[in-house]
Amino acid sequence: MQTKNFASWPIVLVLTAISLPLAIMYASLVIDSFTNTPAGAVLPNEFTLEHWAFLVDPTITGNVWTVTFNTLIFAFTMVVVVLSVSATGGYAMSRLNLPYRRFFLAGILVMHAFPSVTLIIGVFLVLQFAGLYDTLIGVILVKAALTLPFGVWIMKGFYDAVPWEIEMAGLQDGADRFTVWRRLILPQVKPGLVALGVFAFIDGWGEFLLPRILAPTTEFQVLSVYLNNVSVPDSVDYDFNLFKSVGLFYTLPILILFIVFQNRLMNIFGGGTKG
Amino acid sequence: MTDTASSSGGIRPDALVRPADPASDLEKAALKGRPKVSLLGLGMLSPAAVLLLVFFFAPVVLTTIFSFTNMTSATGISGGAYVLSPNLLRELERSGVDSDTLAALGTESVVVDQESIAAARAAGVEEDFLEEIEDDLLGVDFDSKQDFERALKDLPSHLRRTRDLKLAADHFLVSALNTRFATRAEASDAISALAPDIAPGTRDRILDASYTGWVWTTENFRRLATQPETLRLVLNTFFYVAVTLAFNVLVGLFLAITVFYLPKGTGMVFSVLWLLPRITPVVLYAIMWKWFTWDGGFVASFADLVGLPSFNYMKGSVPTAWTIVILVNGCIGASFGMILFSGALRSIPMQQLWASEVDGASRWQQVRYIILPQMRWPILFVTCYQSMSLLSSYEQIWLTTNGGPGNTTMVWALESFRTALSNYTGNLQYGQGAAMALVLVIVGLVLSIIFLRMFRFGELVEKPKIEF
Repeated sequence: MQTKNFASWPIVLVLTAISLPLAIMYASLVIDSFTNTPAGAVLPNEFTLEHWAFLVDPTITGNVWTVTFNTLIFAFTMVVVVLSVSATGGYAMSRLNLPYRRFFLAGILVMHAFPSVTLIIGVFLVLQFAGLYDTLIGVILVKAALTLPFGVWIMKGFYDAVPWEIEMAGLQDGADRFTVWRRLILPQVKPGLVALGVFAFIDGWGEFLLPRILAPTTEFQVLSVYLNNVSVPDSVDYDFNLFKSVGLFYTLPILILFIVFQNRLMNIFGGGTKG
Repeated sequence: MTDTASSSGGIRPDALVRPADPASDLEKAALKGRPKVSLLGLGMLSPAAVLLLVFFFAPVVLTTIFSFTNMTSATGISGGAYVLSPNLLRELERSGVDSDTLAALGTESVVVDQESIAAARAAGVEEDFLEEIEDDLLGVDFDSKQDFERALKDLPSHLRRTRDLKLAADHFLVSALNTRFATRAEASDAISALAPDIAPGTRDRILDASYTGWVWTTENFRRLATQPETLRLVLNTFFYVAVTLAFNVLVGLFLAITVFYLPKGTGMVFSVLWLLPRITPVVLYAIMWKWFTWDGGFVASFADLVGLPSFNYMKGSVPTAWTIVILVNGCIGASFGMILFSGALRSIPMQQLWASEVDGASRWQQVRYIILPQMRWPILFVTCYQSMSLLSSYEQIWLTTNGGPGNTTMVWALESFRTALSNYTGNLQYGQGAAMALVLVIVGLVLSIIFLRMFRFGELVEKPKIEF
């Protein structure tokens, strides 16, 4: 809200001051990946593309494209699992009569509120027993399952908002519940599916802990683990600029996704997994 | 389940649609007041139910179960075997077990049969030599290893070098030492065979000590309750959660309110900048903070330039390390708070603010008397949600200070994770880690239930509108 009664410059000043660290960090992420800075100086003095050589030269950090492809597969499969399971589960929760429905819904809510990272030791043991430890499929299933309470809950919210007259009309015309869901209701909740899909993709793309812990030695490496390996600051010839270009490369897709879907995402971002 | 929710919530669907056949199952069920269970619903729900059962419920159960074991990566996960190692015998002797018994357990005997010859063949002992052993010595008893070696030397094609001969002889030695017995009964039989006079109590004691798998124990919780380290972890965690939470809520509120008062374009710049920490992948975010505060990084260089002490701010000293840890997590939380508070701010009726401005209220008075009272619920929500998420999150700390310097910025969640899954000594203590995680699981469960009660949980789980 803005009125002419108060000047806004003092606010801008204070805001700028507290935002400075973040601004510097993100600005330098972009600037430093294209420039060189002499040792000890704060400002860069030359433009260069050498930090981006990792894109074409696999000797620097290994082949980044394979890793990117892995990450895409990981995030995309996870999105498919989350979307399909949440779309069906959310509908059942929202509109169908089930035994122990209240109990199940309460369970989903508690799981949604419950910090799932504390379960990692238990999940590790489950994967060990199931023989899925150190496999791609295991990590995808775990990641998807941990996102599910959120997904089911969000989708239930979208289904709840669909006027049930639409559904009644379909039923009166002789369609069964499944047809009604698929032909009439699913198109109605498309915004929800898109938002949840993009959210899950961003979430999966950024996931680090699960692949690192549950699939440590597998051939399959995702960008988050790759980036972490590139940037071990304790090594002597540590290259800050390299990690910045790799990092920028890693973040760009989700920044673009976020900008494109910003308005749809904001509705569900508030209830996200980690605050 | 009763019909109260739906009868108060709107028109009942069957008031609109009468089933064609009045005697249908549907009608009967409705008459009994118990709607028909939807098979489609069960089918649609089952994938979610299975996944949640396997990856939420089972981990909670396993965490609980294994917190009562001494499971480590040395004992393995699926159980172990009974092994009498020389080390174990020495330990038992020290702890007062009769040394004659132990000597009996340690004796070796020589057995020449098809099995041991096959074993020697598999190990690559010369074929001619083995054939002679088979012909001359099969089934012969020897009192000691020396006798057996002497007999071997008498064979025509015996091995020239004494060392080779001794190695070949080893394949025929049988001992309870270092043999893996799969079951307790097998191990018990072996011990009884070697030391027939052993007292049952002593035998059980040896068996217990020789088991390599995990066993049930409450030692994990006893250790947690007695070691001084626990108190420090709890205090650290409490400090971390309290300060970061305060940062989250205050900065989040400040950002939301100031952006609310700014012209659209300027406000947008700041809200996008503060959204970034929440969208940026956690690894990159953590590494950016590392760059910012490491030696040779931005803060160090800048401090050098203006004459302040220049060092690794992230790991160099305890106060700076804590500051960084709190800022790293605080910015993500502030971003979360800002989103939620901004949403809540938009729902405040503009007229109230305009009216107050006509009446000459200052900005502070608007915030204090109009905005804050209406933000009570969002603030409470963010506080609850964040306190739980901070209590259990360790990813950012792990990737930045990793608890350092020393263990000064170590929190409970990170310590339990490190104990169970990521320590550098190599022996991962699943049992101890699970016990620590169990504490968090219980606290998390209790808090989430309290917090759901607070936010009108009953309304959230209301019955569906179309219920057949």
